Amino acid sequence: MARPQLRLHVVQAAFGVALLVLLARAGQVQLLQGSRHAATARSQRTERVELAARRGTLNDRNGTPLALTQRVYRVGVAPNELADTNHAARLLSEELGVPRAVVRRELAEPWAYFHGPFTAVQVQLLLHVRGVYPEAELVRFYPDPDLARAVIGRPAAEGRPASGLERILDSVLEGTAGSAVILRDRLGNMIESPSGLGAFPVAGHDVELTIDAELQEIVEGALAEGVEQYDAAGGDVVVLNPRTGEVLAVASVDASGRSAASVFTSVFEPGSTAKLFAAAALLDHGLVEPSDSVWAEQGEYRVGNRTIRDEHPNGWITLTEAIEQSSNIGIAKFSLRLTPEWQFDQLRGFGLGSPTGVEFPAESPGILKAPHQWSGTTPASLAMGYEVAVTAIQLAQAYGAIANDGVMLQPALVREVRAADERIIYRHAPIPVRRVVSAQVAADLRSMLHGVVYRGGTGETAALTSYELAGKTGTARRAGPGGYIPNSYTASFASLFPADDPQLVMVVKLDDPKGVYARVTAAPITRNVVERLLAAQSAALDRTRLTRPRAPASTDAAIAAGTVPYVVEWPAIERADSAVLRSVPDVTGRSLRDAARVLHQAGLRVRVDGWGVVHSLDPEPGASVAPGTVVTVRAAERRPR
Amino acid sequence: MTAWLLFVLAILVWVVARQTSAVVAAAELDSLRNERSLLEARRAQLLRRIRSAESRAVLIPHAESLGLRLPADSEIVILSAPEGEDR
Repeated sequence: MARPQLRLHVVQAAFGVALLVLLARAGQVQLLQGSRHAATARSQRTERVELAARRGTLNDRNGTPLALTQRVYRVGVAPNELADTNHAARLLSEELGVPRAVVRRELAEPWAYFHGPFTAVQVQLLLHVRGVYPEAELVRFYPDPDLARAVIGRPAAEGRPASGLERILDSVLEGTAGSAVILRDRLGNMIESPSGLGAFPVAGHDVELTIDAELQEIVEGALAEGVEQYDAAGGDVVVLNPRTGEVLAVASVDASGRSAASVFTSVFEPGSTAKLFAAAALLDHGLVEPSDSVWAEQGEYRVGNRTIRDEHPNGWITLTEAIEQSSNIGIAKFSLRLTPEWQFDQLRGFGLGSPTGVEFPAESPGILKAPHQWSGTTPASLAMGYEVAVTAIQLAQAYGAIANDGVMLQPALVREVRAADERIIYRHAPIPVRRVVSAQVAADLRSMLHGVVYRGGTGETAALTSYELAGKTGTARRAGPGGYIPNSYTASFASLFPADDPQLVMVVKLDDPKGVYARVTAAPITRNVVERLLAAQSAALDRTRLTRPRAPASTDAAIAAGTVPYVVEWPAIERADSAVLRSVPDVTGRSLRDAARVLHQAGLRVRVDGWGVVHSLDPEPGASVAPGTVVTVRAAERRPR
Repeated sequence: MTAWLLFVLAILVWVVARQTSAVVAAAELDSLRNERSLLEARRAQLLRRIRSAESRAVLIPHAESLGLRLPADSEIVILSAPEGEDR
């Protein structure tokens, strides 16, 4: 009996020991190692993921999106999980647009991956297919990838550095990533965990640029045509609003038609476009009146060991004529009245030799030597636009000061920055840099620029028929590593439009055009841009301030042919004596367009009431009225009888 | 004892209901996210088509094929809007 009792005790003791061991182990696992095992378990069933923030949108000044962020997908496939491989292969091929053979080859691997990126539309039918794992990703999308490409630039991606505005505005656009904890089941499938959100991602700010997309397209088109037509090695165009400093369009291309950002980064000797700065210094210091003259040596003038030549020899020439006819000798002789310090200060004042401060990376400051580095011929060279180098944006900024009554503004590419909740973070306001010349001197300079185009100057090829622009041509020899390159020139044209109340400043520059002179290359490109802009609906131009057109040339022809009984001094509208009354032309029965043209030609203003064919006028036809009187034109649709 | 059982059962039902509603919300969130992506993709597609269709590179050849041309500046007459009226 004792033996069974002993065995029972032994068994009980064994169970007791086992229980103690179990308890000890449980204590070790739970109490001593509990936190470590809990962390391991948590890490196996949960995963902390980063929630990418949406990058802000880049819009043009009218709200047209230029760059926005889009969710795209890359697709991974586990072939061994597919229920029907043939069906999946067909679906993948059809939806993703990948050739069937490629899909089959990929599906033969243990893990297939289609890099894409694919849009949500493409992966829509694949989202719920077992074994197909689309991975979402936010990428940059450009509705018109070629528009202002170099200026907008691209964000950094796959080892490629960021460029352009995407680079300089990166901290504004990028936003703040969020985080979340997701659960995974034992198969590794992700389970959305609503309580596991760490922080919401904060979208980046939206940026409205000063660029006008329509004008940008016009400028890019005209420049590309110009580069091709004149077989140039490249070119730049920049258009800005002189009253605000806003850059409205900027385009650069090389000979292969590739977009560049050389408006901000590439320098050139401005040539005759810089003669205006010498004239500004002379006028501002009261050293010369526009009508003062110098002897222009009949086309050849020796300064030190250098001979200066004029394309068109002149005798006595006024400062105004020196600018209009782009006389090297004239401006060089006038500039002798300036001290080097005055000349340097004036060029510095116009912003030469220092960056404009526009929001673009790696902007070049240009080149302007200090007076102690000058040689004996430097003053004359500077007056003619040599021994100094500028970027196109610097030249536009300097001409902008002349358009803006002598006050230079900092050019700007960013108009507004808005947070994702529509809060305005920044709004551009004109930033005056300094007063460069007095308002009177600026007006005198604008008058000279007007003469360049309309008084037989070098810019006649830029002249429009009805609306006036002012500008200055510049043709300068191109420098290479070994000095000036034979027969190679930079042609530029800096202009203000309209001439009397400039809304736009435009600089057109061509590198090594085959037409050589700016008057036959850069100036016609300017005219093309303005003509196209006038015909477009772009808001870059305030048309309500363009209601006093120059009378069209066709009227000149009519006068010459003797078809009109009297001749008025030209231009009729601006110079007409307000005391002389005129009769209202009878334009009833004409189209609204014809009626408006005739009334404008008669020096009257037009108010339109209705659309279609003109049926009555107020004042009535034949009534005597003063020039500038508003004539109400009543029109109605002609109805079929 | 019955009261305790009912209490435990009620807690379990509440937990299950909460979990179910969370899963439904997560599925709905996922579906809305997909729908948003889909709409964004369509918007991007349409934007690209609009920008292409209204570009000068497309419009001008089309207009020229219809016998139209770019007007000279002398042919452009800008009409002033009547004062004090919005059109």
